[in-house]
Amino acid sequence: MDMAENFLAHQDYPSIEPNAFDIIVYGTGLPESLLAAAAAAAAGKTVLHLDHNPFYGSHFASLPLPSFSSFLQSVFRSPPKSFSDLSASTSPYDVFELESRRVYSEVEFATSQPPEPSRSFILDLCGPRVVYCADMAVDLMLRSGASHHVEFKSVDGSLIYWDGRLCSVPDSRQAIFRDKSLALAEKSQMMKFLKMVQGHIASGSAAGAGAGAGAGAPEERFVRMSPQDLETPFAEFLQKQHLPPKIRTIILYAIALADYDQDCEGSCGNLMKTKEGLERISLYISSLGRLPNAVGAFIYPIYGHGELPQAFCRCAAVKGALYVLRMPVSAVLLDKVSNQYKGVRLASGQEIFSQHLVMESSFTVQSSVSSLLDNQDFHYSKHSRMVARGVCITNSSIHTDSSNILLIFPPRSLLPEQSVTVRALQLCSNVSTCPSGMFVVYLSTQCHDATVGKECIRAAMEALFRLPDSSSSEEIFSSDNENAGVSKPNLLWSVVYIQELAQASIGSIHSSPMPDGNVDYQNLLETTTKLFSKMYPEAEFLPPNKASENADEDGSQSD
Amino acid sequence: MATIGNNNINAKLVLLGDMGAGKSSLVLRFVKGQFLEFQESTIGAAFFSQTLALNDATVKFEIWDTAGQERYHSLAPMYYRGAAAAIIVYDITSTESFERAKKWVQELQKQGNPNMVTALAGNKADLEDKRKVTMDEARAYADENGLFFMETSAKTAVNVNDIFYEIARRLPRAQPAQHPAGMVLSNTPAEQSRTTSCCS
Repeated sequence: MDMAENFLAHQDYPSIEPNAFDIIVYGTGLPESLLAAAAAAAAGKTVLHLDHNPFYGSHFASLPLPSFSSFLQSVFRSPPKSFSDLSASTSPYDVFELESRRVYSEVEFATSQPPEPSRSFILDLCGPRVVYCADMAVDLMLRSGASHHVEFKSVDGSLIYWDGRLCSVPDSRQAIFRDKSLALAEKSQMMKFLKMVQGHIASGSAAGAGAGAGAGAPEERFVRMSPQDLETPFAEFLQKQHLPPKIRTIILYAIALADYDQDCEGSCGNLMKTKEGLERISLYISSLGRLPNAVGAFIYPIYGHGELPQAFCRCAAVKGALYVLRMPVSAVLLDKVSNQYKGVRLASGQEIFSQHLVMESSFTVQSSVSSLLDNQDFHYSKHSRMVARGVCITNSSIHTDSSNILLIFPPRSLLPEQSVTVRALQLCSNVSTCPSGMFVVYLSTQCHDATVGKECIRAAMEALFRLPDSSSSEEIFSSDNENAGVSKPNLLWSVVYIQELAQASIGSIHSSPMPDGNVDYQNLLETTTKLFSKMYPEAEFLPPNKASENADEDGSQSD
Repeated sequence: MATIGNNNINAKLVLLGDMGAGKSSLVLRFVKGQFLEFQESTIGAAFFSQTLALNDATVKFEIWDTAGQERYHSLAPMYYRGAAAAIIVYDITSTESFERAKKWVQELQKQGNPNMVTALAGNKADLEDKRKVTMDEARAYADENGLFFMETSAKTAVNVNDIFYEIARRLPRAQPAQHPAGMVLSNTPAEQSRTTSCCS
């Protein structure tokens, strides 16, 4: 029966022409799609872009709820074994079967049924995630022309969980004035601090080449601070500014978006340095007002994050990259003598050759040649191996004034054992990922222990929602006077799961990064850029496209 | 999606059909008045735009070509999204391409919006002596499936402008936005572009 199935499957796979490319990219996640676009457009390479899934985006995809659920639960079967090659003994290649790491585990669904039609909920696998208005992702989209294919909505603002209730994050002069929860003294301290940081940024950009925030030479930007100061922990630096604890927490976790408890010496690790803290604030501040119509620092793509890989794949296709979905790679071919990578064998049995191979890092080759993959790793964090994620559906907003909101639960705010920030993102129907009147809330936290990670996610869910099977959660939150009279949203459906953090690596075969534990794309894009320059040292990564992508006859830009 | 303002309609139009049916040639003939005997598979543009003036409105088409992603049946949902019109192209000298066109119609019914104006174009009408698909057969299929049908020739330009004009005429004159308008990324910092911004 296996044979018959295999045979049928074999019949279904198309034969790919030609059979040699400069680069084969396997997986259509954001990093792979960017690499394909950069190789095809900027470096003028021939690209074959494959995915074994029937959809674009891999672990960065946005899927209708039923597909999302089955994707999380799918026990990955290794790609169908290719047909036993009769000429194997005479083949000039060593054939190594491709294996797949399990990416999702401990998937727990709510017992309740999702609201119907469940297909109208389009869920991000990598949520919660947003794009800074001034970050590299925006730059790359503009440069590649991908920006033409995606539209965005503003994230209205951020809320921070402080003292058992949600408070708005005053992130700009206007927001500070508007804020009702801060005392006058706190407001002026916050203003003073932001002014000081802006002063540092200004003095830096005057000295520098005027490059956008987050890019360029950060050390030049903070000329007014001594190098020693920049190396000190950011939390200490803030302490010296005599900021009240609440303001300090807001700056650390809601603006600089620190992951780990910054007051925990040693074992917790990952203390943010002042330099990094100021860079992050600088990115945040330059994101405010970077785009017309964006209310805050963040934007979210309409139809979900899965649009971004699709947009870059289209850019790559326009430049000649060849696309084949539903095409598993079954093995990697190495030269018997030199041990160098030569090509891949597809599930169809067809062998395709290329100079480079990039695979999403959930794929690996058998251990005997694993050295191929880990010549040079990028380490995200020494302390996290996984991300706990949650997706919730509700029918009312957490906050009266805002619909799309980023929520920050600083370390220890939910549970004593919570050593990492829990972040959440509420989205309403204006991003077209759920029916009108419904809300989708994503949550995530990095963790080294799945149980602790999931407990933290659940604690945040309890703080935010009225759970169907719990009676104890009413009062944690009802004293929120900013939101007086608003009851907690009912939790209609949820899923909590663990995602492994596989690392990117450079070797004979390159491995591209999986979604990380951050809410933005900065780290992923930096890693992707490094991978690209390793493969094509002389090529620029998606240089600005002067002859713009569109052959717009009347030259006017619509919209 | 078609958006309307002062009788100006912006409409995304997508092309579907098998490789070699002449999708890109149709667009190039319509937009640039060109025809190349050996058109390369990919034309290197994400989209073309062309404006048509009708009696009651000006229709600006944004025409998306498949960029070759249809070759191994790997078009992204993004391609169909928000399209107000589609032209499904087959080659009248190939029964296979006509059969594949029917598959594209099904795909479109699954992915596209129900109010989409859909045209079936039997291209390469200049190759009458090699014809394999009769006009009657194609017209009957089009009628059954609510498409309008024309035979075109990108080579001789027969019916090329006509098919686009006919689509323009059939576009709904007032169509509510299908999804809330979002912001399009721009290079202009907010301070400078505030006066010209229009979407919310």
